[in-house]
Amino acid sequence: MWRLANILLFVIVALAPSGLDSYVGVVGSPATEPALAIIVNHANPVENFSYEDLRKIFLGERSHWPNGRRITLVMLDPSQPERKVVLRDIYGMSEKDLNNHFIQGVFSGEVFVSPKTLANSADVLKFVFNVPGAIGYVLASDVDSSVKVLRVDGRLPDDKDYRFRLGARPGN
Amino acid sequence: MFFSPRSVVGLSKDRLARRMVAEHIAPMALLLVVAMLMAGSVRAQQASVLDSDKQTIELLVRRIDQLEARIAQLESGKSPASGATATAAASPPAEPARAAQEPPTEPSEPQRADLSKTLLNIRGFGDITFHRDTAKGEHFDPGIGTLTGNTTSFSLGQLDMFVTSDISDRFKFLSEIVFEAGLDNSFGVDVERYLLQYSPSDYFNVSVGRYHTAIGYYNTAYHHSTWLQTTTGRPFLFAFEDSGGILPIHNVGVSATGLIPSGGLGLHYVAEVGNGRSSSSPNVEAVQNRVDENSGKSFNLALYVRPSAVRGLQAGFSVYHDHLTPIGLPNISENIFAVHAIFIRPSFEWLNETLLVRHALNGTSRVFETPGFYTQLSKRFGSYRPYFRYQYVNASDVEPVFPQVGLMHGPSFGLRYDPSESVTLKLQYDYTDLRHQTPINGVATQLGFTF
Repeated sequence: MWRLANILLFVIVALAPSGLDSYVGVVGSPATEPALAIIVNHANPVENFSYEDLRKIFLGERSHWPNGRRITLVMLDPSQPERKVVLRDIYGMSEKDLNNHFIQGVFSGEVFVSPKTLANSADVLKFVFNVPGAIGYVLASDVDSSVKVLRVDGRLPDDKDYRFRLGARPGN
Repeated sequence: MFFSPRSVVGLSKDRLARRMVAEHIAPMALLLVVAMLMAGSVRAQQASVLDSDKQTIELLVRRIDQLEARIAQLESGKSPASGATATAAASPPAEPARAAQEPPTEPSEPQRADLSKTLLNIRGFGDITFHRDTAKGEHFDPGIGTLTGNTTSFSLGQLDMFVTSDISDRFKFLSEIVFEAGLDNSFGVDVERYLLQYSPSDYFNVSVGRYHTAIGYYNTAYHHSTWLQTTTGRPFLFAFEDSGGILPIHNVGVSATGLIPSGGLGLHYVAEVGNGRSSSSPNVEAVQNRVDENSGKSFNLALYVRPSAVRGLQAGFSVYHDHLTPIGLPNISENIFAVHAIFIRPSFEWLNETLLVRHALNGTSRVFETPGFYTQLSKRFGSYRPYFRYQYVNASDVEPVFPQVGLMHGPSFGLRYDPSESVTLKLQYDYTDLRHQTPINGVATQLGFTF
């Protein structure tokens, strides 16, 4: 039995998660990189989100806003660089992992609705403008007055320590 | 007064002519003039009508042109990726004043109102397995997680049609319809899940229908698809009822789930009330879909945490209680205690579950306790994921509800390869030690897919 336990312990140590999996997020990214704005409808009373809460929304682990309205997550097409930032900095997943996450989430009943995918920032702006419960992301430079930009951990895209930037790497 | 014939004639001619002019020609001329005037008026009116029609036609043609241009504009602006959601983006943000007068609507509402369109979302899962082991006769094969014969076989796995429907903002229908071949090679159809879900908030969601009982972790995480699972089959602890499993995997009743405000701890609850499993005879359907064999109901309560500080960790426990009424035996009080701790990240997986099934015969001191556990480890290297599982279950040979189970334990080693996002190929070796029987060696190769 001890031998089996030792073998098991060895296997666990050998298979322990690598540094990539334990990656948490981007802190202190250079402000010169284009920032990604998290946008919601103007009717949404939320102004600020913690990074963890935002992550839960993007994972589909939260289904309703505090005002009771259903959350509708909108993602950009996989070809868009903004999506790569979201996969890296919010999900910490590859496209395949994200796909599996939502298939399994819907299958197990934990995720109510999969994200909607739109082709470009203009479509995302239109969608968020029209759907009160929507949340999405676009480059901060693409944002117009039709939507509201959320603070994440109290910071806006113009702030120095804002998390989500194109090209920023973990630990930068 | 007398007139000469000539004079009379001459007079008559003049008078006649005047009279004719006065009595006939003038009116006729007048009539003709009037008629001509009227005809002119009619022609004028006809011309006016024609002009009006022409204007109308021109307007209509212009309108058609406008509509055709609008359709072309909409069609050109509708990208393939946006799909159904493109219809949602009706008002451009460049016109906020105009859009502000039109209350924004949810994108799918018009579709929901359109009864000519289906609300169904369908995803399918399937697998085909080639397997061989050293067992004799009909037995449980850990390689495929179900009952099998003793020959080398290609086996069609469950064809799982997973159907969901967003009925409204807060109601959703979910079902799993499974086509499965039995040991007699004939296909049967089972409705494995059949749920109407009401989701008013993150703190309270309720489902009514047939569900997978929230005992432990595996049963509500993987359901009927092998494609989602790392291994070729379910752990024996979570084998389906018709595959000789020891748990009430399915239940019919009400299930409530939700968050408990707990900050970063991420505490969740599950509370279930259902018919429980049948126990009157091993030959009856295990899941009491329509008629409960007794009026007592099963209860299950589960609590688990997902702390935000350790991403991928879930730990919790569940307590299940039911009252069984087997024929020829005293009634049985059934309690199932389960504890789990799992750690899953995209490239690493470590599942640990242990449980105890306790059957107490009422009116006697006889209690049968069946412990079991499994641990499963895997790590992904690109498209490859080697894995290891050790499982154990130890039931008494005279266990009143599942006497066929006995002792079963042993390791499984395998490799999962994902050549594409939707197809997976697995190779697994199993060694299973049994009480009073020769150990079983088995190999299985499985092709799993989703569509």
